[in-house]
Amino acid sequence: MIPLTHFLIVSACLFAIGLYAVLSRRNAIMVLVGIELMINASILNLVAFGRYDKTLYGGQVFALFAIVLAAAAVAVALAIILNVYKFYKSVNPEDINHLKD
Amino acid sequence: MLSTVLTYPVLAALTAVALPLLAFLLSAALGRRARSGSIAVASISLSLVAAAYVFGQVWNQESIRVQWEWFTVGSHRFLVGLTLDNLSAMMLLLVCVIAWPVHVYSVAYMKGDSGIHRYWAYLSLFCFAMLGLVIADNLLLMYIFWELVGFASYLLIGFWFTKESAVQANKKAFLVNRIGDLGFLIGIALVYSHLGTLDTEALTATPETFPATWHTVAGLAFFLGAMAKSAQFPLHVWLPDAMEGPTAVSSLIHAATMVAAGVFLLARIHPLFDGNTLMVIAVTGTVTALVAACFALTQYDIKKILAFSTISQLGFMMVGIGIGLFPVALFHLATHAFFKCLLFLCAGAVIHQMHHVAESQQHEIDPQDIRNMGGLRRHMPVTFATMLIASLALAGFPFTSGYLSKDALIVHTFEWAALQSGFAKVIPYLLLAVSALTSFYILRLLAKVFFGSFRVGLKDTSMLHEAPLSMRIPMVFLAACSLFPLFSMHPLNDGHVWLMQGLTTTVSSLPPLRLLHLAVPVLTTLATCVSAMMAWRWYVSSRYPLKTDSLPYRWSYNQGYLNPFYEWVIVRPLLRLSHFLFWMDLRIVDGIVNGLASLGRSLAAAASWMDMRIVDGLVRLSGKVAWWLGNLFRRLQTGRVQHYFTTVFLIILVILIYHIVVLL
Repeated sequence: MIPLTHFLIVSACLFAIGLYAVLSRRNAIMVLVGIELMINASILNLVAFGRYDKTLYGGQVFALFAIVLAAAAVAVALAIILNVYKFYKSVNPEDINHLKD
Repeated sequence: MLSTVLTYPVLAALTAVALPLLAFLLSAALGRRARSGSIAVASISLSLVAAAYVFGQVWNQESIRVQWEWFTVGSHRFLVGLTLDNLSAMMLLLVCVIAWPVHVYSVAYMKGDSGIHRYWAYLSLFCFAMLGLVIADNLLLMYIFWELVGFASYLLIGFWFTKESAVQANKKAFLVNRIGDLGFLIGIALVYSHLGTLDTEALTATPETFPATWHTVAGLAFFLGAMAKSAQFPLHVWLPDAMEGPTAVSSLIHAATMVAAGVFLLARIHPLFDGNTLMVIAVTGTVTALVAACFALTQYDIKKILAFSTISQLGFMMVGIGIGLFPVALFHLATHAFFKCLLFLCAGAVIHQMHHVAESQQHEIDPQDIRNMGGLRRHMPVTFATMLIASLALAGFPFTSGYLSKDALIVHTFEWAALQSGFAKVIPYLLLAVSALTSFYILRLLAKVFFGSFRVGLKDTSMLHEAPLSMRIPMVFLAACSLFPLFSMHPLNDGHVWLMQGLTTTVSSLPPLRLLHLAVPVLTTLATCVSAMMAWRWYVSSRYPLKTDSLPYRWSYNQGYLNPFYEWVIVRPLLRLSHFLFWMDLRIVDGIVNGLASLGRSLAAAASWMDMRIVDGLVRLSGKVAWWLGNLFRRLQTGRVQHYFTTVFLIILVILIYHIVVLL
């Protein structure tokens, strides 16, 4: 049986890769992909820890919820990116700095 | 006693006094528009008429006193008023009679002077002060006019105030007179504290209540006042310097207005003097007469000779007061007023001509130096004739008024000295000697100015001519008054002088010495003749026997070195003292004040520094910190979503590290 630590290490690596993508990519789609990676890392954690809840499978259920919410969030985010692209003619987060107003 | 009834003589006297005041105010108000002097001349002419009327009404009649309430100090009421008796009526008329020709003379003499409007105003003020002085009935009022006389003379002596010497001279006159004024004031204070009144009439009635010592001190204090005003040795030094004023002013000062005030004061309060004071007055008068005559012998300035002659004659008058015979002194004052005024007016005419010569020839000569004159007899016959009469009157030659007064004075002094002992016995002989000296110096003046030949190299002597008519009329008028008929129908006997008879209130207790009435006139006339011969030989025939560098000559020429003496003994130490006091004031007194001020300033500066740096500093520091923090956090808000993520990540990282490091 694979020990819990390995799941956590894979999850941490995924989170780190996702974080890196979010912070450094110059394309909003890739940032969205980074976010998805981070969500998946956390879902992996949920599933991994769900092993300790054998009666109700709370971890598995919560992971399913999270996947649905992530899908919804991606849909909303993609819509935002489309609108941003229409407005700025760019999906580079460097060019979009109007959040400070 | 208190009478406020305005009778005609009182009104006339008030008019006589008020008119010059009115003229002064009018001239002062008009300023430069009143240059002709017609206001002053008209006012003094009307004053003369009024004074003549007063004299006619009052002379040898009951004296008139009018008094009004002046002010009240505590429970004591001060009365102010005027008194018209023989003395004041005589002086009132005398002042007007002398002032009138001087005014008329000034019209021509001062013509063209740029400050002539001031001249007329001052002259009117001077006359007003003197006229007020003679009719005042109490010492305080007299003192006020006394000061006014001094002030007006100060203005007139310094009339040409752009000349440094004139400024020095009027300052000197004023300061020396202040010494006398102090004496007068002390006298007034003593009289008031002991008699409780300043009324001159009350003064004559009750001198017995005076403690003997204070009686003498008061007498001496009044005499000190008279000494300064009437230029008695050693306070005479201002009078020769006062020659810096216009000559017409000098004649007024010397004849009737200024120096007469001192003699008049002593005559007015003569019952106040006791034996000691009278002796001091007589001795001072003698010393003055002698010393001034000696100084007059060697002077070259025509006006200085006359100035010293005035001082010498004032000494005679003081002797007259000192021997207790004030009518004699006043008689001499009256005769002297005429001939001395005339002498000055003649000298003025001569100076006027010399001035023209100096101006037209571009000669650098002093128009007052008798060494430059000579032979003016031929060019100015009227001036010569009138000046000769005045000089003979001064010398006491028979048929002149001076003969009557001077002989009366010397004879009475002999009579007085017969009752005295010690030094007093010498006084009449000294006066005789002074009389001879007088004859010599005035005839020296005549010989130098009018005889011989003109001493300035002048090709054309036609420019030397007689003074204008308006100057000659006053001179001739005064010359007529310098002869005997004005005072006595008997030319050689002074027993019939109406003026002395009118002023004499008590029968003289002096034993008459018949022989003297013959011996004294003969001696003085002889002295005059001898000095005339000497003057002719020495100065006209130029056989001058004396060395001009001998010690007595230099002593006389330098006026006894009195001025340098005063300069060294009084003026310099006083100046040094005041410089020291000034230094004290500047360094110590001001130093303390300034030190306190700078201490306060430095304290304030320290407090200000504290306020600026510490109090304000704290406030500003908090502001700065807030600004700096704000500036710091402002940078975080870049508007880029990735930066926000980074920030959040870093913060979470920090919290995590904190947890790991601290909590584990």
